[in-house]
Amino acid sequence: MNAFAILLQTLLLLALAPFISGCIRNWKAKLQNRGGPRIWQPFLDLVKFLRKDMVISEHASWIFRAMPYVLFTSTLLAGLMMPLVNVSAPLSLFGGALAFVGLLALGRFFLALSGLDPASAFGGMGSSREMTIAAVAEPALMLAIFTVAITAGSTNLSQMLLAAQGPTWRLLNPAHVLAFAALFIVLLAETGRIPVDNPATHLELTMIHEAMILEYSGRYLALIEWGAAVKQLVLMALLVNIFFPVGIATDVSPAAIGLGLLWFVVKLLALAGAVVLVETTNAKLRLFRVPDLLSAAFVLATLALLSTFLFQ
Amino acid sequence: MNLPQSELASQLITLLAAGMLVIQLLMVVQRMLLTNIRLFALQSLMLAAIAAIIAFFHNATHIYWVAGLTLIGKVFFLPWLLNRQVQRIQIEQEIAPLLNASASMLLCGGFTLLGYIVARPFTSLARLGNNTLGVAITLLLTGFFLMINRPKAITQVLALLTVENGVMLAAVALTTYGMPLVVELGIFFDLMVAVMVLGLLVYRIRETFASMDTSKLNQLKG
Repeated sequence: MNAFAILLQTLLLLALAPFISGCIRNWKAKLQNRGGPRIWQPFLDLVKFLRKDMVISEHASWIFRAMPYVLFTSTLLAGLMMPLVNVSAPLSLFGGALAFVGLLALGRFFLALSGLDPASAFGGMGSSREMTIAAVAEPALMLAIFTVAITAGSTNLSQMLLAAQGPTWRLLNPAHVLAFAALFIVLLAETGRIPVDNPATHLELTMIHEAMILEYSGRYLALIEWGAAVKQLVLMALLVNIFFPVGIATDVSPAAIGLGLLWFVVKLLALAGAVVLVETTNAKLRLFRVPDLLSAAFVLATLALLSTFLFQ
Repeated sequence: MNLPQSELASQLITLLAAGMLVIQLLMVVQRMLLTNIRLFALQSLMLAAIAAIIAFFHNATHIYWVAGLTLIGKVFFLPWLLNRQVQRIQIEQEIAPLLNASASMLLCGGFTLLGYIVARPFTSLARLGNNTLGVAITLLLTGFFLMINRPKAITQVLALLTVENGVMLAAVALTTYGMPLVVELGIFFDLMVAVMVLGLLVYRIRETFASMDTSKLNQLKG
């Protein structure tokens, strides 16, 4: 049963992630009065990358070759620990919020290393920027998750959602508003969205994520892109499921699962809409302004954590 | 969820007050003037919603007036006026605060804590929204801080408006039935006139000094 659940959730993650990316890209184009790519364009891109040959620099070491697999599997594992449709995540016994953040950090660590590895100037720049941003974004992410964990009494993501189903849960908790705002900013930073990084650009001096993966091509690039899409989906799932635990399935009956899936997709699309609005109405920040924004997220998360004690 | 009505009202108000706090903190780090004005409009919209919720659940008709006035004045009229002013004098978009964003954000986090601690002895008394007084005090403190921190006249006007939002929140949410309508009307028109006069003043400062920096005003002394 558990192996079956793991398989199903893996498939859901892999299928839904490019779809959400496609939706965001398409809606963004629509808002800017452009036709935009089709929603399933990311799938076509992945297929295209998978079929192409790879060009690998002769100076690249094993890290360069290992990174796509490490990034892909660590992100996927983090996704399996996140309850998406059902309250109990397939790997929930494996670890809680800390392991979740740790797995994402492992992927990022290897991503930054592989940016440095082929010794291209762009890659090193991207790595250094990514780490600068992560140094502030990660604590904010942890504090925001802990805020919910304190209310729920457990750092296990499944337990948090289970507690949310109880009768004493306050859906409109003010601490959660602060934590949600913090996590939303972290989401924008971690997925390279516009106030922090521009996902639609290559070969620009301000790029962060794209700079690190500039040397990659073919199958490896496909894995990285897919991994990045899964990471985005998992973080969005974290936001919608922890703060709005509406409609999530508590048992494994097909009806409950179906309804849970429907709710999950609707909530994701709503959040994607919010991301699109932010991306269209804001200009990209100067790189040196990005830590300001993230420090705002950090202070918001700290306040959220403190206010859970103040409201007791 | 099947909540009793007053519980639902209290939760909604607490939620909206927390939203106002989040927006205030975002204004502290936001450097773009037009975005600041938009954030202020959003904050006022939340204030209007709080007033409307209180009016609805307590059958206090005159608070509907407060909500309506806030909606018309602070959500639409004042932001429009400020926007027009920004367009007219074509100032540069970026606010140059005296203290950098991270430091001021930390400071405002401290203010929030202070606000909550000061408000704590009173929260058991308040029937609606147990954090509204804390948020109101925080809005006051951070509003004053914004005023000190930003040298340009038009941003100081904006900071004054957020201070007023804080006062209004305390008045509407804590006393439950608000101040007498006459007082609220008075405050409201006072504010309206103040913003208009300040707008003219901003224009004059700009004409005379070719800048909106109020610290240059001390060059006036003979």
